[in-house]
Amino acid sequence: MIEIQLTVNGKDYTVNIEEDKRLLDVLREDLGFTGVKEGCSEGECGACTVIMDGKTVNSCMVMGFQANGSNIVTIEGLEKDGQLHPIQQAFIDIGAVQCGYCTPGMILSAKALLDKNPNPTKEEIREGISGNLCRCTGYSKIVKAVEKARGYEDES
Amino acid sequence: MKRIGRGIGLSFYGTGYGNGFPDVSRAKVRLLKDGNVGIYVGGTEVGQGARTIFYQIGSETLKLSSDNISFITEDTSLMPDSGTAAASRQTYNTGNAIKIACENFMDRLREVAKRELKLNSTQGLKVNNGKIYLEFFPRKVISFKELAQKQKGNVIEAEGEFVAQTVEMDSETGQGAPYWPYTFNACGVELEVDVLTGKVEILKTRFAQDVGRAINPHLIEGQMDGGFAMALGYVLFEDLNINEGRIKNQKFSKYLIPTAMDMIDLENVIVEDPESTAPFGAKGVGEPVMIPIAPAILNAIYDAVGVRITELPATPEKLIEAIEDSKEGRVVKHG
Amino acid sequence: MRMSLDIVGKNMIRVDALSKVTGKAIYPADVYMDNMLYGKTLRSKVPHAYITVNTKEAENIDGVIKIFTCKDVPTNEHGVVFKDHEVFCSKKVRRIGDPIAFVVATDIKTCDLALEKIKVNYEEIEGVFDPISAMKEDAPKVHEGNNIMYHYKLRKGDTEKGFESSYVIAENTYKTHMVDHAFLQPESGVSYIDEEGRVTVVVATQYPHYDREEIARALNISEDEIRIINASIGGAFGGREDISLQIHLALAAKEIKRPIKVVYSREESFISHSKRHPLIMKYKTGADKNGKLLAMEADIIGDTGAYASWATNVLRKAGVHATGPYYIPNVKVDSIAVYTNNPFAGAMRGFGATQPPIAYEQQMDILAEELGIDPITIRMKNMFKKGSETATGQILTESVPLEECLNKVLEDMDLNLDRKGAY
Repeated sequence: MIEIQLTVNGKDYTVNIEEDKRLLDVLREDLGFTGVKEGCSEGECGACTVIMDGKTVNSCMVMGFQANGSNIVTIEGLEKDGQLHPIQQAFIDIGAVQCGYCTPGMILSAKALLDKNPNPTKEEIREGISGNLCRCTGYSKIVKAVEKARGYEDES
Repeated sequence: MKRIGRGIGLSFYGTGYGNGFPDVSRAKVRLLKDGNVGIYVGGTEVGQGARTIFYQIGSETLKLSSDNISFITEDTSLMPDSGTAAASRQTYNTGNAIKIACENFMDRLREVAKRELKLNSTQGLKVNNGKIYLEFFPRKVISFKELAQKQKGNVIEAEGEFVAQTVEMDSETGQGAPYWPYTFNACGVELEVDVLTGKVEILKTRFAQDVGRAINPHLIEGQMDGGFAMALGYVLFEDLNINEGRIKNQKFSKYLIPTAMDMIDLENVIVEDPESTAPFGAKGVGEPVMIPIAPAILNAIYDAVGVRITELPATPEKLIEAIEDSKEGRVVKHG
Repeated sequence: MRMSLDIVGKNMIRVDALSKVTGKAIYPADVYMDNMLYGKTLRSKVPHAYITVNTKEAENIDGVIKIFTCKDVPTNEHGVVFKDHEVFCSKKVRRIGDPIAFVVATDIKTCDLALEKIKVNYEEIEGVFDPISAMKEDAPKVHEGNNIMYHYKLRKGDTEKGFESSYVIAENTYKTHMVDHAFLQPESGVSYIDEEGRVTVVVATQYPHYDREEIARALNISEDEIRIINASIGGAFGGREDISLQIHLALAAKEIKRPIKVVYSREESFISHSKRHPLIMKYKTGADKNGKLLAMEADIIGDTGAYASWATNVLRKAGVHATGPYYIPNVKVDSIAVYTNNPFAGAMRGFGATQPPIAYEQQMDILAEELGIDPITIRMKNMFKKGSETATGQILTESVPLEECLNKVLEDMDLNLDRKGAY
């Protein structure tokens, strides 16, 4: 067992974990952030995407100890003062959600994209979310939602 | 070198379990203590939007805001059986069951209201916006909430059942009426084939789907987008690579499904032609939306490079091989 | 006249959207309970073999609570149409991935260790992997009796005469492959005994009442003693119709009386659940000089793999839809389902209506080209309209807007393709 410290959604945590435990399992099992989904366990589907120190990572491919000292944002951390993040709101308004299993990871990838590039083209959006698989939506409404979120962010 | 081609695909799809097999959906509607309405139904939300459609059908029938309705669709100890979330049957079959249950429930409400309002008859009693009132003397009115509070232990509820009509086919001739209703669609695709790499890129689509009547256009578009994507993977690259019963591509790094980069914005057209046996005319589209895409793509590939792919998937390797074959004295596969 | 409606026809926001964008929607794997155990399934590594199983060594591992095999299941069978699946294989495995045993332990690592220590002796039998070979008399038998497990026949008019009168005839064989639903959420579930003593299974399923029925049957208890809670479902597409982990979970909760959780890996998901039927479709279609369809024959063979699942219904649906949305006076279809030792095929989006268009829509283009007419004209000439009769003799009395669909496509896409002199 090793002790790691990390910040998740602005709150500090200290956890004792097995050395071979993945960040995904630390977040889900030890800290209760079950919005982080497991879909493939090999970094292909993006369902377990979280933002770690400003960059998206597949939390199934990061070991718990590697996250020691890091700052992590999960889907549970996007709401501020009871207000949805503009991307969350846009996903609802546009109808970019179906089964919802890819949605948390998809929204976080979109957030990382917009944080870096506030004005992406459609192609850049498609590229930005290309590491997140969705089997339901055909991505069209997801792309539209990200475009719309860009507008919401301008307003706020 | 890249070649552009266009192709069309048409299809039809019969809804439901079919072939005379009892295809039954049930729903139960109950007046809750706070005057809201609970609807209990075994139809499953798998991502297709059934739960939202149920709210819209329930809300429309009861003339009641969806905020005042709760659907219970998760627990077998609470809800009646509404069949599988399959065969594109939830909107049509379970939608009908919900509509019928709501109509029966409104009849029950009128009967109880007649008693509470001390009327001779239920004639002229309207149910709207959580109130039951006499249309030509609206002062005779009672709200759902008042009605619920006066019931002291008596539950006001009603059930509804919908059984689809199909006729089992003859075992020797296949004659019969195996499905109802049928749904129709057409998809046009324009694509580009790179004759050196065999890669296919979709450039434009026009996809028209018959829906009977659209209950929720956004949800239908979502189905059309998703059906297109699933068909795209099916026809061009998804491959389990099975050898002697062993799936070799048993993970996402090997079994490739479409990403956002493989898809384009689709031009979707919703075609309405209400079906009289359907709830508000609406037919299911969950499956039909996948069906015309693959043939449209295959016909467009032929239009682009003159080769017929008769064995799926139309991978780049297969396409290049077919293109090479056709150069050496074009193989005409048809008679 | 159209009824004027308040909510129907409007883009009401999905009622499940908020919980899904905030990560609050609960899928079965998100359920954690006190005192919870974990379960894992031992699956066949070979496609066809007689087996004997010895769990003794595995049972002695620290942390292993119980290992379930066929001996523990009162009625060791299930299946959506035919009960040809075993809950745990008793004598024979018929495909790679067949469930043999179910380990319940205090944690997943102990489950994995126990799976390694269960000894399965495989006495391999010759397998059969393509449906054409499987149809032969002397082919290895997957189940008792013939591998041909269903034959749908459609007969209308006289196809021989129809072909005699035809000006052009196209004959081709089309093959589709087995594919996976690849829904994003791998199978998972949690079982426990609820406060009223009911065996409760939290699962993601397309049909909770069917799961209850199968559990009742397998465990030989009444349906009232079982409760299925359908959590959020991460996609299905037909892949969550057959039983996967429901009976294993219910059995374990009933015996152990503690919560048990199972989460399949992506690999296990691929290996365990149904697939789309691969079809071999031999088509012969004839038309007159003007492109009017006169006759069609289709021989369809579907590989349902090791189990029937929905094969009868899927191959029936393929047969019924074999003509495409076109009126053809003379039709002969034979649609056959065959057992092999491949992964089993079942329901998948379109359910037997998805594969035939790969054939019939290419046939239409081929005929059009032979006749020197364009693909739209030949379709317009033959398509179903209100009042048309299908090949099964059914009258399409209403809501048949196929022509309108095609016209909507043509509004913004030129598909009157003239192929003369192309290539």
